[in-house]
Amino acid sequence: MLLFALVISIAFGFLSRRKPIERVKYIVWSLFLFLLIGVGIGWAMYPFSR
Amino acid sequence: MTDETAAPEAPSVDSNREVFALVIAAAGWIVPGLGHALLKMWGRAVACFLTVGLLVFFGAGMRGNVFTSDGNDAFDTLGYLADLGAGSFYFVAKSLETSGPDVSRADGDYGTRFLAAAGVLNLLAALHAYEAARGRKA
Repeated sequence: MLLFALVISIAFGFLSRRKPIERVKYIVWSLFLFLLIGVGIGWAMYPFSR
Repeated sequence: MTDETAAPEAPSVDSNREVFALVIAAAGWIVPGLGHALLKMWGRAVACFLTVGLLVFFGAGMRGNVFTSDGNDAFDTLGYLADLGAGSFYFVAKSLETSGPDVSRADGDYGTRFLAAAGVLNLLAALHAYEAARGRKA
């Protein structure tokens, strides 16, 4: 999940922003959100796992 | 006066730009990053090539399913369309996966998602290159 989130974040950052500093900010922020939402959905499904 | 002479040429210029944009989109689809490279957007070209390439490399390495055109159901067809989005890298994935897919393990399942994501991401990049070639702010 980390590898997937990192690669997709880098691609989105380069496609949607022009300035290097904005790209880095976007990549870090979207990576954080990918991981947060991924782990969040995982925990949200936990009560229904059995 | 100047406007009168310039006005009839506008559709031709627009049409040329549209054809150019379509060529850029096709190039970007066939070889990830080529569309941006032709527009001299080097950073984006390298980023597209590497990210799509990495997703294909890891997806094939995890023995993900590379869908073919003779799918049994709608999901196979959708998977094929997503995989085909990677352009020439679809064939790279097929050639890398010498021992075939193995979706009995979690790795293979993840690999299938990686390959599909590579295709969809490349389509998005090709669309971005198309819009940039048309002159839209990108």
